[in-house]
Amino acid sequence: MDLSFAHEVSPQPPRVGQVTITIRATGVSKKPVTGARVTLEANMSHPGMTPVFADAMEAEPGSYTSTMTLSMAGDWYIVAHVTLPDSRKVDHQFEIKGVQS
Amino acid sequence: MVEFDHKSRSPRAFDLLRVPLLGKLLTKRHARTLLQIPVFVVSAVMVLHGLFGPALAPQNLATTLTWVHFRGALVFVLLFAGNFFCLACPFMLVRNLARKFFHPVRNWPRRWRNKWLSIGLLITMLFVYEWLDLWASPWWTAWLIIAYFATALLVDAVFKHAPFCKFVCPIGQFNFVASTLSPLEVSVRDLNVCTSCTTKDCIRGVREPAAPLVVIQRGCELALFQPRKVGNIDCTFCLDCVQACPHDNVGIISRLPATELINDVMRSGVGFFSKRKDVAALVTVFSFGALLNALGMVSPVYALEQWLASLFGVNHELPVLAVIFTLILVCEPLLLIGGAAWLTRVWGGEQRRLLWVVVRYSYSLVPLGFAIWLAHFGFHFLTGLFTFIPVTQSAVAALGWPILGQPHWGFPGLAPNLVQVFEFGSITLGLLGSLLVSYSISAIEEVDHPFRVFTVWAAASLLIAASAFWLLSQPMEMRGIVLGGG
Repeated sequence: MDLSFAHEVSPQPPRVGQVTITIRATGVSKKPVTGARVTLEANMSHPGMTPVFADAMEAEPGSYTSTMTLSMAGDWYIVAHVTLPDSRKVDHQFEIKGVQS
Repeated sequence: MVEFDHKSRSPRAFDLLRVPLLGKLLTKRHARTLLQIPVFVVSAVMVLHGLFGPALAPQNLATTLTWVHFRGALVFVLLFAGNFFCLACPFMLVRNLARKFFHPVRNWPRRWRNKWLSIGLLITMLFVYEWLDLWASPWWTAWLIIAYFATALLVDAVFKHAPFCKFVCPIGQFNFVASTLSPLEVSVRDLNVCTSCTTKDCIRGVREPAAPLVVIQRGCELALFQPRKVGNIDCTFCLDCVQACPHDNVGIISRLPATELINDVMRSGVGFFSKRKDVAALVTVFSFGALLNALGMVSPVYALEQWLASLFGVNHELPVLAVIFTLILVCEPLLLIGGAAWLTRVWGGEQRRLLWVVVRYSYSLVPLGFAIWLAHFGFHFLTGLFTFIPVTQSAVAALGWPILGQPHWGFPGLAPNLVQVFEFGSITLGLLGSLLVSYSISAIEEVDHPFRVFTVWAAASLLIAASAFWLLSQPMEMRGIVLGGG
């Protein structure tokens, strides 16, 4: 599967509260992957914390944007669950380190 | 005939072993094994999930059950009952099984028959917890559990009796200190029965009549002779003494929590508290370690780490953590306990040596130390109480067997702001407990100025409580490695 992902988080530095997360999915020859279904799951590094879920909307071709509420300062681990138009599923994981209170 | 008159038991005391059904169950010969087997199975699942399951701590049973549920349940059971976690210890299940094949003949070395090794291991565990962010790593958590099993097996395969529990296990030492505040203790029901007892099976064990070298029921492996046993220190609630007593004279009996911290009497297997510098060091590490462990979860610690790193010109976490540990586990106790002991002598008129004062009064910090552990572990436990359900659902579903349904994260536990009330309440009660203990010790020990001495130790407790209140009011921040990992 020749897919690559990039992500962007704003504001920078990230703070407790609402953050906007953009996932850019590209395929062969950097062509944007359109029509995918993207859901985001955010976990803290400590167990016993509830993950935060959000759906991402395709704002531009291949660019999926979502707002999430990060409830606590610290490191967050984001998993983007991507379902491609042909029903294949791919996960893309990244960290948002040092979310400030 | 030997008289045992150091303690008296109210005939109206509650005895857990007299409770219908539960009492009968606990006095069954294999009661401990029955409790250990499910805990062992859960431990095995945790290890497997830790090694092969999701790498994210909130989604893994190893980290969730260890750092949220086990620790939380432990402090609540210690507070409301007694050392029942040692009773159900899975490490001892494996060790007992191994002893069917290994028959150790060596005694634990005399120079190690104290708490110094276990204090070192407790500090090491607290350090490694922060350094490797054990709470965030299912893999490391699984290896920690494996290391525990291996060490228990190794130590008790080489040495007789139960040296792992008494001299090595850091969790055991934590439980021993915390259980001084428990409302239940394993104790004799009627000392007169002990006075007329000739066999002393509670300590010697029950021997095969035809072959006296063959023990068919162990006595206390931690060298606690029931009639002279005082309180819960060093008692694993294994109930061997209950099984061994031919007079059915040992129960799990109610008592006033913390009284064992006050009275300086001769204790079987322990001696006098005032002469046990190692036990005093253990309770000091227990009390200040509570502050240290809680500090690791709030925002200011990261600012402190960055500041220390720039001060020393390093970018690794190891030396910075070493400095923080030294400050809180060495410098702070030296200042607070040492300062209070010095004032006890110069202002309170205490004539005995400074070290004696330090040792005697250090036990007064246990209620406050426990309260800080309770507040910290209780927070994670109560706010994440039901998180084991979706994590278990995920684990079962990952096996391709989604019989428990899809993970349901709807209600993780109590709201953090509600639990904060509990945290502040815990610290307040712990402070009151420490004040009561220090007042009682000063009333017993000080002839000239008991109130002055109490004031000094009350001030030490108040300072620690103020630190704890400050810590709990800080914003929580859960981070992994801030500096380099080396």
